[in-house]
Amino acid sequence: MNGPPAAIECAGLGRDYGEVRALDAFDLTVARGALVGLLGPNGAGKTTAMLLAGTLLAPSRGWAQIFGHDVVRERRAVRRRLGLIFQETSVDPLLTVEENLLFAARLAGLGGRLARAAVADAVERAGLRDRARQPGRALSGGWRRLVDIARATLHYPDLLILDEPTVGLDPEHRERVWALLNGQRRELGTTVLFSTHYLTEAEPADRVVLLSRGRVVADDFPDALRSALGDEIAEIEGPGAERLARAIRGLGGAKTVLRIGGGFRVGLTGPREPVIELAGSAPGIDRLTLRPPSLEDVYFAKTQDGAGYP
Amino acid sequence: MSALSSVYGIVARDLVRTTRQTSRLLGGLARPFMWLLLVGTGYNAIARLEGALSYQAFIYPGIIVMAALFGGMLTAIATVYDREFGMLRLMLASPAGTAAVLAGRALAATLVGAAQGAVVLLFAPLVLPISSREFVAALGALVLAAAMSGMLGLMVAARLRSVENFAGVINVVLFPLLFVSGALYPTTGMPPALRALARGNPVTYAVDLMRHAVGQRGEFGVVVDVAALLAATLIAFGVAAVLFDPEQRFVRARRPRVSP
Repeated sequence: MNGPPAAIECAGLGRDYGEVRALDAFDLTVARGALVGLLGPNGAGKTTAMLLAGTLLAPSRGWAQIFGHDVVRERRAVRRRLGLIFQETSVDPLLTVEENLLFAARLAGLGGRLARAAVADAVERAGLRDRARQPGRALSGGWRRLVDIARATLHYPDLLILDEPTVGLDPEHRERVWALLNGQRRELGTTVLFSTHYLTEAEPADRVVLLSRGRVVADDFPDALRSALGDEIAEIEGPGAERLARAIRGLGGAKTVLRIGGGFRVGLTGPREPVIELAGSAPGIDRLTLRPPSLEDVYFAKTQDGAGYP
Repeated sequence: MSALSSVYGIVARDLVRTTRQTSRLLGGLARPFMWLLLVGTGYNAIARLEGALSYQAFIYPGIIVMAALFGGMLTAIATVYDREFGMLRLMLASPAGTAAVLAGRALAATLVGAAQGAVVLLFAPLVLPISSREFVAALGALVLAAAMSGMLGLMVAARLRSVENFAGVINVVLFPLLFVSGALYPTTGMPPALRALARGNPVTYAVDLMRHAVGQRGEFGVVVDVAALLAATLIAFGVAAVLFDPEQRFVRARRPRVSP
C-alpha cells in the first residue's frame, strides 16, 4: 500500500524564458516534515525551481506535485497548503504590521474572527507585538523579513518555500528568522524548502540539493556530501600550493583537489601526519590549515568550473 | 468563501491605502473643481451653447465623470506599485488566484472612483438644477463610469512595468480619453475623424449617460450608453485577466506533460 504523497515531488521539471533555459531538468522528492536546502550560484535556477513549485510559473517541461496535487492542474489546492517567501520582502509600507498580516490572512481565505486570531498568533510567534501598530515603512529590513515569515506562516501551511529568507539580514535577525522557522517545524511538522547563499544555514538541513546551470549536481544528506570530499580538508596557500597539492595526490592521500582563488583545498583521506610532514618540508607554503569538510567545499567542488584539479 | 475573503481583503487594503495617501486624495478631489472654476469660468464668457445652458453647467456632468475616471483609473493603475514592491506576486500566489485579485482591484477602483465623483456630484446644485430623482440616477451613472474606469486602469496596469511611467499614462491615456469624450465640448461639433474616435471611446458614453441623468440632452439613448459602458467594462476585464496571467496563457498554449 502506498503511503501519503511526498511534500514535493518533481521530475524533469524545466522552464525556459525565450531562448534562455533557466531550469533544465529538476528532479526532487522531499519527504513530509523535512528541511531541505537548495544551494547554487546566482542564475543556477533556484528561484525558478521555487516559483514552479509555488505555482507562480508554468513549467515548460516535466511535472511537479505538492502533497500529491499537480502544480499546473490543481493550483488552488497547492496554494492552500503553501507558504511562500520571495527574495524581496512583501510588506505594504502604508499598512501597519497587523494590517499587513490581516491582508495576508484574508488572501489565504481566512475571514472574520479566524483571520484576527491567526494574526494575533502570528504576531506573538514572530515577536512582533511591540511593532504591531507600526507602519511597514517604519520597519528595518530585518523586521520586515520577520513580518514576511509571520505572513507566510499565519495560515499554518504544510509546506514553506523560502527563497533566500535571510538575505541581507544581520546575524541577530537571521537568528530570529531561523528560530521562528524551527518553531514552526517543531510544533506543526512543517516541511521547509529554502534557498540560501549562507552555506552554514544549510548545515542543519536534512537534505541539501545543489543546482548548477539548471540541473541538480548533488542531492544528499549534508554529512554524506561532506564526507565524499574526504576526512579532512587541507587549505593550502602560497606559491608552492600547487606543487604540494600534487605531492599529496601522489602520496595517495587526496580524495579531491579543488583550486579556489589563489589556493587549493585538498580533501584528505587516511592519516594526516604524512601530509603535515610533507607540508613542513615543501617550499613556498604561506599557510596550511586542516579542518573538517564544509558545505562550502561541496559547493565549490560541485558548482565551480575548473575547481577540480587536475 | 475563500475567494470572497480574498476580494474583501484586497478592497479593504486599497481603501485604507487611499485614505492614507492624503495628497493624492486631495489632488484627486481638487482636480475637477479646478477645471470647473478655472477652465469653466473662463469659457463661460466666450462659449455659446444651445439654450440657456452655461458652459459650467454643460461641463458639469463631464467633470463628475472626470473625477470618477481619474479616481478609478489611478487606483487601478496603482497595481504597478504592487508589482514593483512584490505585493502583486503575493496576491497572485493566493488560493483565490488572478480572478479574485482582478475583482478586488476593480471593486476598490470602482468604490474610490465613485466616491470621488460623488463629492463633485454633491456640489452640482450650485451650478445646475438637479432633482433628487436625477441625483439618484447620476449616482447610478457614476458607479458605471467608475467601474469602466477601474477596468480600463487594470488593463493599462497589466502592461505597465514601472512606476516611472505613471505620469506618462496620465498624459497619454487619461487626458485623451477625457478630451475626446464630449465632456468639455459637444462631440457633434467635432471633425468626422475625431467624432469617430469619440464614438469608440467608452468615456463618451459615461459622459452622455451622466447628461441624461442630470436632465441634459444626450447624443445617444440611455440604453445605448449603458450597453456601451457594460460592454467596455466586460471587455476590459477580459483583456486584463489575460494580460495579468501570462503563465496561464503559456500553459494553455503549450501544456507540458502533466504529472502521473
